[in-house]
Amino acid sequence: MGSDSAALDRRSFLRATLLGAGAAAVGTPLLASCSSSSTANGKANSTAGLKATLPDYVPLTAGPKPDLPIVTGAAGASVDPGYLSYPTDLVATVAKVPGSGGTYTAITPLWGPIPAAGNPYYQAVNKALGASLTMKPASGNDYAQTVPTLVAGGKLPEWLQIPTWWNGNLNVGELVTSKFADLTPYLAGAKIRAYPNLAAIPTGGWQAGAWNDRLYGIPSFTSGSNFAAILYYRKDLFEAKGIDPASVKDADSLLALGKELTSASSNVWAFDVVWLMIQQMFGVPPTGNAVTLTDGKAASAFDAPQLEAALEYAYKVAKSGYVHPDALANNTSQGKQRFYSGHVLVTADGPGAWNGPDAIEGRTANAPYVRGAFPVFAHDGGTPTIPLGNSAALMSYLNKSLSDAQIKECLALADYLAAPFGSKEYTLVNYGVEGTDWTRGATGPTYTTQGTKEANQQTYQFLVSGQNAVTNPGYDDVTKAKYAWTADAAKHAYQPAFWNLNVNTPARFASTSTATQVNDIIKEVTYGTKTVAEFKAAAANWKSSGGQALIDWYQKSVVDTAASGTGK
Amino acid sequence: MTVPGTLLPPRGRWRRRPRVPGPSWRVKLRRDRSLLLMTVPALALVVAFNYLPMFGTVTAFQYYDYITGFLASPWAGLDNFSTLFADPTFWRAFENTLVLSLVQLVLYFPVPIALALLLNSVLSTKVRATIQAITYLPHFFGWVVVVTLFQEMLGGAGVLNHTLRQQGLSPWNIMANPDTFKYLVTAQAVWKEAGWGIIVFLAAIAAIDPSLYESAAVDGASRWGRMWHITLPGMRGVIVLLLVLRLGNALSIGFEQFLIQRYAVGSSSAEVLDTYAYYYGVVGNNYGLGAAAGLFKGVVSLVLILGANKLAHLFGEDGLYRSER
Repeated sequence: MGSDSAALDRRSFLRATLLGAGAAAVGTPLLASCSSSSTANGKANSTAGLKATLPDYVPLTAGPKPDLPIVTGAAGASVDPGYLSYPTDLVATVAKVPGSGGTYTAITPLWGPIPAAGNPYYQAVNKALGASLTMKPASGNDYAQTVPTLVAGGKLPEWLQIPTWWNGNLNVGELVTSKFADLTPYLAGAKIRAYPNLAAIPTGGWQAGAWNDRLYGIPSFTSGSNFAAILYYRKDLFEAKGIDPASVKDADSLLALGKELTSASSNVWAFDVVWLMIQQMFGVPPTGNAVTLTDGKAASAFDAPQLEAALEYAYKVAKSGYVHPDALANNTSQGKQRFYSGHVLVTADGPGAWNGPDAIEGRTANAPYVRGAFPVFAHDGGTPTIPLGNSAALMSYLNKSLSDAQIKECLALADYLAAPFGSKEYTLVNYGVEGTDWTRGATGPTYTTQGTKEANQQTYQFLVSGQNAVTNPGYDDVTKAKYAWTADAAKHAYQPAFWNLNVNTPARFASTSTATQVNDIIKEVTYGTKTVAEFKAAAANWKSSGGQALIDWYQKSVVDTAASGTGK
Repeated sequence: MTVPGTLLPPRGRWRRRPRVPGPSWRVKLRRDRSLLLMTVPALALVVAFNYLPMFGTVTAFQYYDYITGFLASPWAGLDNFSTLFADPTFWRAFENTLVLSLVQLVLYFPVPIALALLLNSVLSTKVRATIQAITYLPHFFGWVVVVTLFQEMLGGAGVLNHTLRQQGLSPWNIMANPDTFKYLVTAQAVWKEAGWGIIVFLAAIAAIDPSLYESAAVDGASRWGRMWHITLPGMRGVIVLLLVLRLGNALSIGFEQFLIQRYAVGSSSAEVLDTYAYYYGVVGNNYGLGAAAGLFKGVVSLVLILGANKLAHLFGEDGLYRSER
């Protein structure tokens, strides 16, 4: 991996993070919408139910001490540990070969080149696992279409990963109950202690994979500080121009900075599309569920006054002339290049964009390149707030058709794969075979060409991985800066309505809770192609054509039943 | 087929040739068996990829749930259609599709014909081959590449606007102008596909008997006259055939091209039926609605293609198949 230990930090995964964040912001409900005859009435996790099913959290004692320790912020936010050096004396966290010779197939999304089947890295990991776990990564960009095809065609593998930002679109609430194994009997409470590495995954990750008060999902890259995005700037160019990022304290000063930075005749624009961070500035309640809580009552997320104010500002920014025209043409694939080449100086991107590979790529394009981040601020210069994202964005599931013994074997394999940073298992899973896939340099492991193609792609890690850690061998300044930003943001964190709560919405609300039309218009307003008035009309139309019924259902079935995440 | 007791043909059908009894189907089968055998692979493909998936249209009448499948999804009757027809966004997409189709018919369709005629008048085979190769090439580019290329040239930060700004002129961002979007996409289509479209017309020209040109030249026909009286009439059958097919496909204006440029100009001008079905059907988790939109499109296209074919027959052309009359 070579960067922040997490996939969250791999370049290939950036798009995923962005997608996820984008989904949270404009696209699709992160949690919602599903049904089946068995769950036609829908259900949400309850605080009491979760208490009975969530596994114990038992942090590991072995392994290296982080150079930058876990710190807790507001609202239960916690900053991932940071490591500045890669340990040389690796600890073993799994005593014996976990598998018993079983044969399984796993499908995961992959945003990057698909490694060759049966490559030496796969062979080495399978040998260590003592089982044949065939990885069949599928293109991440088409993954939302791949999953329904697998389900409708009856071709579900033994182990399947589904990113949580598609929970709504893919009706995961219904899918888990009809197709995936209930892991509660194996992992609830103290039972998870049989799998020490799984037990070291913070509870929030398991909660993000719980449905109907039962455990289904196995989380990857669990973090207590998953934020949708960061407002980045070109630190090197700001310093050269003598601009102090701390001078940007509110929405108006950001716009003024836009004016100062933009010079269209020399092909320089201040901004890319920064809607993700405009939402943070204005304190917009996440619109993913289409429903939010206003004064403790279920209400339309589209009626939030903060959203309207944020959209007005976003529209103003889009029309200001300070946004790169290609960004407004929705050319997202060139976004990184625009930032690297200095055509754009301020951009909003996922936290995963800030890592070692980013520094390498940026400096290749533009030698003095340094990525900096504005500390979070509020639109009016007041105390800023930033909503926490769910504790895990990637979730894998075991097939319901597996036998009891097979589920136990898969969980033992998961325990091996979830080994933490600094362990022998972690090094094998993330770097492959020493000498073939990586070599040890002064700052830590470095991939060989073969390793980049095979081990440096996220495959096993997308099934399960341990607590997220920040590490960028050779780029400690990046690790330190990112850790510092996150620690500051965590102080201002809050849990938005229905945080880390999976709501199993009845089928009749499937398209209402997805609210495609309103979410689409929101996106168009931020691109300046629709007006705020058009958004308001669409929001009103949504409410009258099914939205109010969904809100009423939330009030009755989620808020009144004191589901977790409703503040009751 | 005469009216009993008279020798006159029945009213309204007088133009029909009297039907000569043809060979029986057994004889036809024996005669054409090798031809029929040759069509089997193509037929199998059509059955597998066009006819079998048609059973999927059943989802248009269901609240389709991909998890429970066709068999267990509840029936919706015509609910999906009433939702569809009550949605102004759908009608906007329908209107956009028709307008774009019309614009492309007028501005795109004649281009390959004109190019083929021009190319036909070039005598040097080397020059011809070079021009042909250059004009085909864009056909093999994906839409993402084509749109990026246009963005790089004509976009707000592209070559054109960069030059305009450097000259102190105001920029002209055609890539983000919803009013001229229909011309923009037509220009893109011409650039990408016109060269490819030439092939069929060149083949039609090649099939014209050269002796016609020779005798016309002997009779003193000018180049223009030869083109007008020999080349164009010789191509007419193919032109009409392609026109009929084009009308039948009028509602399939494209997908990727519009998906990519949707946010640049806004959905009000860039939403077409296919992107509508994708957004509100697939992305919006409402497969029934998407299928209803698709079925509606299919039915309208069928009517269009049959109508256009009928029209072709009225004009005495073969259209898709030779009329029996």
